[in-house]
Amino acid sequence: MIKRINICFTSSGSTFNEASKVKDAVTAQESAIVRIEDVSTVYEGERRPAIRDVNLTIERNELVYVLGPNASGKTTLLETINGLLPAYRGRIFVFGLNVRNHGRRVRCEVGYVPQDFMVEPGEPYTAFDIVMMGRYGKIGVLQRPNEADHERAMEVMRLLEIEDLAPRPIGKLSGGQQQKVMIARALAKEPKLLLLDEPFSNLDPESREMVPRIINQLHEEKGMTTLIVTHDIHNMMKTCHRGVVFRDGRVVVDETPEKALHKLEVMR
Amino acid sequence: MIWLELDIMRRAVLGCVLTGILTGLMGVFVVRMRISAIGYSMSHGAFAGAALGVATSMNPLVTAMLFASITAFLIGPIADKARLHADTVTSIIFPLNMALAFVFLTLTPEIGLTSQVASVLWGSIISMTNNDVVYMVTLCAATLVIIHFVWKELFAIMFNRKLAEADGINTRAFVYLVIFLSGVVITFSIKLVGGLLIYALLFNPASSTLQFLEDMRKVIVVSPLLGVGTNLSGLLVSLFLDLPVGSCIVLVSTLVFAVSVLVSPKRRRKIENERR
Ligand SMILES: Nc1ncnc2c1ncn2[C@@H]1O[C@H](COP(=O)(O)OP(=O)(O)O)[C@@H](O)[C@H]1O
Ligand SMILES: [Mg+2]
Repeated sequence: MIKRINICFTSSGSTFNEASKVKDAVTAQESAIVRIEDVSTVYEGERRPAIRDVNLTIERNELVYVLGPNASGKTTLLETINGLLPAYRGRIFVFGLNVRNHGRRVRCEVGYVPQDFMVEPGEPYTAFDIVMMGRYGKIGVLQRPNEADHERAMEVMRLLEIEDLAPRPIGKLSGGQQQKVMIARALAKEPKLLLLDEPFSNLDPESREMVPRIINQLHEEKGMTTLIVTHDIHNMMKTCHRGVVFRDGRVVVDETPEKALHKLEVMR
Repeated sequence: MIWLELDIMRRAVLGCVLTGILTGLMGVFVVRMRISAIGYSMSHGAFAGAALGVATSMNPLVTAMLFASITAFLIGPIADKARLHADTVTSIIFPLNMALAFVFLTLTPEIGLTSQVASVLWGSIISMTNNDVVYMVTLCAATLVIIHFVWKELFAIMFNRKLAEADGINTRAFVYLVIFLSGVVITFSIKLVGGLLIYALLFNPASSTLQFLEDMRKVIVVSPLLGVGTNLSGLLVSLFLDLPVGSCIVLVSTLVFAVSVLVSPKRRRKIENERR
């Protein structure tokens, strides 16, 4: 078997060229996982920025809530951070890497669960296929998933108690089951940063309790960092470090979760 | 009957098999990646290009490839960025390419070129040479090797391009690779069915297979087989009824598509859901 060519950002760093080694050194000094400087994102064809003049720093191992009314720019924030929306002003660093130049490398290490992701019933993919795909970027071009990759994907599915769904067609699962598959997909890549966009909307109460528990566990064991966009804040209050409230594309509150929640209620 | 000539017959069968594999395979990517508009436009670009080749006595393969590439180059970025709806662009490119093709064919010097004109318009198995067969075998092998190596990425992009991008895959590079390969395949398939009908070969086997199979790994194998099957059936029909091969192949493959839609478990489920 050929040794894997690592095109992605990994902690080993051994396969990197010199330029990125320098960047790694920068990362080591900086504890901020995400640093956003004066960022405004404009959608193509729009004139008004969906988020504007955002400044935000998220430290390693932090668990941050992003709150705010509909259309306030929460989803836009997440997709600007992982570089899916490249049309922004300002500067964004993730793991110390400029997202504008290193977007793909960053995305190999960022788990993303999009909002309201639902699949048509006839989609020719199994739940396991979808979870495994989370690792594809990390595995690298021209490489095939190996035993360890399979094991890792199954491990995450067991963690979320969906291992028996693995061979089932994704489209035939319930909304909640699909949502858990999407979370498993994001976790399968063993992300350093996890971005969750309203991940609890379709989950039953039992899973709403389980998913935060798993995230907490990964925070403790792997030093993961997480941003969660949600309305369902009560389950996680005890472990959440910060609440960031968006309104009309601007950060209006960046406080402890209790205070953020309080201000959010006053705003209404 | 000229058909019974062994050499011609052998090349015809080989042409059907190779074209069936290639279009059936690339069609799956084109349909699933929702770049049908590009495939469609490239087909007619290749048609106009082949017509130019015949008119100017250049190699129609080269000119067809050139026109397909230009079309892909023009329409690709537009469809990719969704700045302009792909449908809108297709509606402009299609008549443009048709008009060009007919102008070129009208300009064609008449002496001895009728069969070449016919092969560009309707396809002509008889004009398939041994060289054509060699090209197609090479193309088939190259395509299969390339797809084997980038299957993982294509598999993910066919599920959802945005998610694939979010997982660190360079989706644009792979979508463009598919566009490029499809352009080459279209160009080489023109001899079989002609430039007017070539798109059906790309679209029908893939869409039929996607109607009734629910495992992408099976789809990618069955669609080329179905392409081979419909091509050979079309060839047989054309032999018995003495009709143009290309038209017969498209008629058979459209019939297969219609049947697959009617018996599709997906469609049945949809109806059941609506009844509920
Ligand atoms: N694809 C898009 N094109 C143009 N505008 C968009 C697009 N997606 C979102 N927007 C706009 O950007 C703003 C923020 O949207 P979004 O980030 O989805 O808000 P939230 O996630 O907080 O509900 C809204 O005004 C919305 O209309
Ligand atoms: Mg949103």
